[in-house]
Amino acid sequence: MAEKEVLIQVHNLSVEYKTRLGQVSAVDDVSFDIFKGEILGLVGESGCGKSTMGKALMRMIQPPGKITGGKIIFEGEDIMTYDENRMRDFRGRKVSMIFQDPMTSLNPVQRVDEHVVEAIQVHEPKTKTEEALSRAGKLIKKLGIQKRRMDNYPHQLSGGMRQRVMVGLGLVLNADLIVADEATTSLDVIVEAKLADQLRQIREDFGVSLLVITHNIALVAEISDRIVVMYAGHVMEIADVEPLFDDPLHPYTKGLLKSIPNIQLDDTEELYKMPGEPPNLTHPPTGCRFHPRCPYRMPVCVNHEPPLAEVRPGRHVKCWLFIDHPEKESETIKVEA
Amino acid sequence: MESEKINKEITPMPEEVPEWLLDLDKVGFVRRLFLARKWYGGDWWFVAISAVLLVFFIFVGIFPQWFAPYDPREEVGPSLLAPGEAPASYLLITPIESGDIRFIDIADRTNNIGFIIGSAASQAMREVTDELNENAPEGVRYQPRQQRYETLEEGLQSLADGEIDGFIASPEELGETLDDFPTLQDAGTLREEGERGFIFGTNQIGQDIFSRIIWGTRIALIVGLSSALVSFLVGVPLGLISGFVGGSFDRVLTLLMDSLYSFPGLILAISIAAVLGAGIGNIIVSIAVLYVPTYFRIVRGQTLAVKEELYVEAARSIGTKWTTILRKYIFPNVIPSVVIIFSVNVGDAILTEAGLSFLGFGLPPDTPDWGIDLARGQDYVRRAWWLITYPGLMVTMVTLSFSMLGESLSEILNPRLTER
Repeated sequence: MAEKEVLIQVHNLSVEYKTRLGQVSAVDDVSFDIFKGEILGLVGESGCGKSTMGKALMRMIQPPGKITGGKIIFEGEDIMTYDENRMRDFRGRKVSMIFQDPMTSLNPVQRVDEHVVEAIQVHEPKTKTEEALSRAGKLIKKLGIQKRRMDNYPHQLSGGMRQRVMVGLGLVLNADLIVADEATTSLDVIVEAKLADQLRQIREDFGVSLLVITHNIALVAEISDRIVVMYAGHVMEIADVEPLFDDPLHPYTKGLLKSIPNIQLDDTEELYKMPGEPPNLTHPPTGCRFHPRCPYRMPVCVNHEPPLAEVRPGRHVKCWLFIDHPEKESETIKVEA
Repeated sequence: MESEKINKEITPMPEEVPEWLLDLDKVGFVRRLFLARKWYGGDWWFVAISAVLLVFFIFVGIFPQWFAPYDPREEVGPSLLAPGEAPASYLLITPIESGDIRFIDIADRTNNIGFIIGSAASQAMREVTDELNENAPEGVRYQPRQQRYETLEEGLQSLADGEIDGFIASPEELGETLDDFPTLQDAGTLREEGERGFIFGTNQIGQDIFSRIIWGTRIALIVGLSSALVSFLVGVPLGLISGFVGGSFDRVLTLLMDSLYSFPGLILAISIAAVLGAGIGNIIVSIAVLYVPTYFRIVRGQTLAVKEELYVEAARSIGTKWTTILRKYIFPNVIPSVVIIFSVNVGDAILTEAGLSFLGFGLPPDTPDWGIDLARGQDYVRRAWWLITYPGLMVTMVTLSFSMLGESLSEILNPRLTER
């Protein structure tokens, strides 16, 4: 497990949106790695910068948004230095994306096979249409879509099928990473479970990495290997799945896990609600961005932003509880390996 | 057990889905059109009627010579003849003693034929003589000498006296006067077969209105279709690029188009036509300018909307080039709303063309054109209703069929409406 190869390294990435109310730092100084062949979950509440993060990975931030700093290292090169042509080749061939709403993520006037053939021909213009079609046919079959569905239009497919077609568009070019941006959010639980299964299957069959962006904690618990928890544009905690659920370190992660509805709660118990609101990112809180809502708040949290520290191999936390600081009064909690 | 049974009774089995419903995905365009009423509540018979009408009009426009009985520019009869009315037929009066003779027998150069001064009989005689000469064998020439008389009695008297060989008068002119001359007889109508009528009448210069309308269809269709096409070809790409590129380019273009759009349509067309001068090409251009902003606005708006669609972003996420996105993703999703506009616009353009011609800024004056006919006919509206009624009806019908076709096709084929 320790000898995993790094596929993409995100280094101190920042994305800002220019709005009339001022600069919004949607993603601020975020760093994490994605290993080859892993499923990485990216969770957090709405507006915390998850989707922006996913788009930034493909440099698809549209104005008024802008990537203001940081590096994304892929195959030893920073993709920020890619020119437009190279970037186009990178999108699709190296990293591809599945979107939130399967109903609108396929061109309504193109057939399924046209989509796949186009995806192939965009990157390999010399491929003959028949060859592309046969490749598309094989892939579609692997994804569990009947072959006769190939000449259907998107509106004739179900939501789950469309998502599988989108997954197929990523796979047909042998992408190394598929970013699934809320890919299962609009599907019902049964289709969602199937797609989750399929994503795992795909990882095994094709060896791709998956970045699953979602606010559905149950889903990431089910399919991910590791989880990145984001809050207000910052990465709060990075951990393998099991340790994270067994022993959440960051107060935000704790709150998040407590907020999951549970059928075992009886009538007297109430579902935990985190106090306060997510911060306004035009004027983020000083120090730790979570401190206004944090039950473990210390004076040091208000003035100093904690670093994302590796408290244990493979486990990063951005919280003063676990990191030493001269102004701190209480004792630093030692995390056992 | 009991409840199960009840359950079975009260929850009906879902009705079997009919085979043809399952096959609906596979049916072709024509079949879908026929099924449209069932599925989309569209008024399919609107489409049918307007399509049949349009096909007919287009056919007429392509082959006007098959339908028009006369040359539309030629003077073919008396002026202001009502629809179906035969022109007055003139009677030939001859002495009884000359027996059963026809005009041809007394149309020689040596013969004298009399009529009342100012009567249209002279014109009728000239026409008949011309016809005779056309069919005459080589060397024979008919040209009776004309004798003019102040009154009918004077003329008949000189005929009775043997000074002339025949007298031509209309039945109205003649009245009962012939009874006063026992030696004279009514030798029948001047033309043997009698006079032909004109189905829609004639106008003030004796042109056949039916023929003019038939030939006018060609002009109307040419102007309507090509000006709509020109504005389509200019407006759609501009709108696509403007919406897609955005920024200051978009702003400038939008401002330009909006200022064009803010002009009252006909006045703008008049001013352009006045600058360019008469002629069919210039008319097409000036009407096309009028409709460019319509296409531009609609296409730009749709492009802005489609550009934000997830599938465009998805296309970018697999690295599609922007030209491909424009061609394969945005254009096909924008075009359905434009096609409808096109059909409605053709009708509108025909109307505008008629308006321009009506106001005298359109085509050269002798062109068989509905607008020109309307303009000319309005002076005679009290006396001759048929001058403006038929061209007006044609303008209405063609415009209406184009609009009807466009609107109802949009209702039937628009996938967005079907989903609801």
